[in-house]
Amino acid sequence: MDALYLLIPLSVLIVFGVIGVFWWALHSGQFDHIEREGERILKGD
Amino acid sequence: MIEPQPVTDDFCVFDDTDEQRAFTRPVHEGGRELAESVLVVQGMFCAACADTVESALERRPGVALAQVQAATRRLTLRWDPGLTKLSDLARAVSVAGYRLLPLAEALSLNRRRAETRRALWRLFVAGFCMMQVMMYAWPAYVAAPGDIPPDIDQLLRWASWVISLPVVFFASGPFFASAWADLRQGRIGMDTPVSLGILVTFAVSSAATFDPTGPWGSEVWFDSLTMFVFFLLGGRYLELKARDRTAGALDELMSRLPAQAERRTADGSWATVTLRRLVVGDVVRVQAGQAFAGDGELLSESASVDEALLTGESEPLARRRGDAVIAGSHNLAGPVEVRLTRLGTDTRFAQIVALMERAAAEKPRLAQLADRIAAPFLVLVVLAAAAAMLWWWPRDSHQALAVAVAVLIVTCPCALSLATPAAMLASAGALARRGVLVRRLQAFEDLAAVDTVVFDKTGTLTQDHLHLRTVRCRPGVTAEEARRLAAELAAVSHHPVSRALVEPARSAPEGATLAEVAGQGVAAHWPDGRVRRLGSARFVGLADEAWPAGGPPPEAPMAHLSDEQGWVASFVLDEVLRPDARLAIARLQALGVKTHLLTGDRVAAARRVALLTGVDSLRAQASPEDKLAEVLALQAQGRCVAMVGDGLNDGPVLARAQASFALGHGVPLAQARSDFVVQASRLGDVVDTLQLARATMRTVRQNLAWAAAYNAVCVPLALIGWMPPWLAGLGMAASSLFVIANALRLSRGATPVAPMAQQKDLPWTLSTS
Repeated sequence: MDALYLLIPLSVLIVFGVIGVFWWALHSGQFDHIEREGERILKGD
Repeated sequence: MIEPQPVTDDFCVFDDTDEQRAFTRPVHEGGRELAESVLVVQGMFCAACADTVESALERRPGVALAQVQAATRRLTLRWDPGLTKLSDLARAVSVAGYRLLPLAEALSLNRRRAETRRALWRLFVAGFCMMQVMMYAWPAYVAAPGDIPPDIDQLLRWASWVISLPVVFFASGPFFASAWADLRQGRIGMDTPVSLGILVTFAVSSAATFDPTGPWGSEVWFDSLTMFVFFLLGGRYLELKARDRTAGALDELMSRLPAQAERRTADGSWATVTLRRLVVGDVVRVQAGQAFAGDGELLSESASVDEALLTGESEPLARRRGDAVIAGSHNLAGPVEVRLTRLGTDTRFAQIVALMERAAAEKPRLAQLADRIAAPFLVLVVLAAAAAMLWWWPRDSHQALAVAVAVLIVTCPCALSLATPAAMLASAGALARRGVLVRRLQAFEDLAAVDTVVFDKTGTLTQDHLHLRTVRCRPGVTAEEARRLAAELAAVSHHPVSRALVEPARSAPEGATLAEVAGQGVAAHWPDGRVRRLGSARFVGLADEAWPAGGPPPEAPMAHLSDEQGWVASFVLDEVLRPDARLAIARLQALGVKTHLLTGDRVAAARRVALLTGVDSLRAQASPEDKLAEVLALQAQGRCVAMVGDGLNDGPVLARAQASFALGHGVPLAQARSDFVVQASRLGDVVDTLQLARATMRTVRQNLAWAAAYNAVCVPLALIGWMPPWLAGLGMAASSLFVIANALRLSRGATPVAPMAQQKDLPWTLSTS
């Protein structure tokens, strides 16, 4: 159970890390046009 | 109304720097100064077309990026102004078979995108933190008391507290802002109990985390709190996306090439310039089929103009040298020269638009149902929570707080906040799938209360072009032959009668010179002396008002054909009712709605249409101002009016009526100002929308009733202390889900609609793709 003393605070840090990654993804425009990947199938190569 | 094609398709207007500013902005990329333009691609009918346009552009020098979104037909183009011109790129696209137009309101795209991004950001923070907090709360739910060592328990609570911080101080921002704004105005809105609930829950849970033995108790509710915030933000995000979609569709509608005109230069030649550059006193040349750029004085000998702008009727009017022509009306026969006397906001066109804006600003607002029911209820809730706390505090202070928080949570402002938007969004989605755009969600509430529907005539109840009804020929000539002969002459004219007689792939007869006399007809002369004439009775050589076929002359537009031997044939034309007009009127009457016909056309024509469709009342020969006065009179009688129209002359009424429908083939400005746009111009869709609006309001009332009943049961339970907060949280979630599920019934178009006859000959719009 001692591991929890490390793991719980670590998990909090990881949560903030994930939120930061999402911030980057959102502001670099990845969520602006979600259907684009679906449309990509229809393009010729 | 047929949108005239620009006469000079030479794309030079794309390079005009003033025009470019509306849809282009400079960007820095890799040390280069590029320009980024947002345009609309016309002519795409599938997603693979996007590929064609992109590759056509990427091959050109100077293009850094060309991205087409198939769903919205929007092109983002990054190009180097030093290496290429926008007109060259537009020409490349047209060679590939599509047309580029600058996107109207392109710059507001950035603003909308920033807003959507912020909303998604908040939603993610709330959602992700909610999931983590639930994980930390899980042990407390499943463990028997005493199983978890107290310091691990404390660590878990601390972790929950930290993760709830972004949710309370960032993601919940909109609720606090709105509650604060309401408070400053002295009212209690939907967001007030939400904000109160969030703040109190967070404060009590924080105190329990850092001071478990203190007066605030040792219960934490971080999981309920974050879930609560996530649901509410989810609802708002969906609403924002729906609004984005409609705004995007309407922007596309308003996208057009910057209007051009041919102006006479000092040395007598003609230069094509954009409208912005015209000044009063300029002489412009207007081709057949084009609209006049400003109010002006006719310099040519004669002209035939279509002033549907004012009357809604495409009856050509004759004008002589010196007569006034108005901006926005169309020139029908041959190029004419006009000296401009008024431009921009001084023109009649602009006056009608200004009338529309004023009418919209004074639009009667129906008090929103949710506000009427919810507001007093919310006040009660807050008072009940305060009262509970006061009652419990002397007895058991821990319990007091638990009770107060339970009351605030369980009353689920969630259900109240979601009751209306959920139902309206579901209905808007169902309508969008049918081709009806909803510009204003609250219009559902207004439409459900409508008891009178006012229809425009031309283009709304009737199709906006004439049809050939009967052909009478002289003996020895068949009807087909007569039509062929007429079609050859009609090909060169824009007169509405000619447009009805035109046949595809029929061109002028060989060897003949054709001449059109404005408003009267077209004549063809052959070198060997043969003559053929098509037009009014006098033009073809008959006595005025003659009807050679015997019997009384029909009261309808007519054209006659004659050649060098005399009369050949007569054509009787007709306005044709839309196939679904009579059924739509009957359905409305069955629903208890009064129908009214309001038109600028002559009394006889209006009466005929009124009899055929069965409308309850009629007013003819109305100018746009008359139409507005008529609707104001109806509203003064206490009636709730909906308007269905297609033209600019309907604009002021569309803006003023409590609910308004614009048909898809109509003037874009009218569509952009109406509550609903029926893209396929089916009148049946108008009736379906009315029925759906009534069903939507029924669902909203059901949802609100459910919220009331649920609260009536749960709040007393919470007050007497029988509702532990976890049950309150669960009840809140279940209540929200019920409200959403009830609303989703609407997205199937829950109203049973009588199957209507399929209309095969829909008048698809000719102006957009």
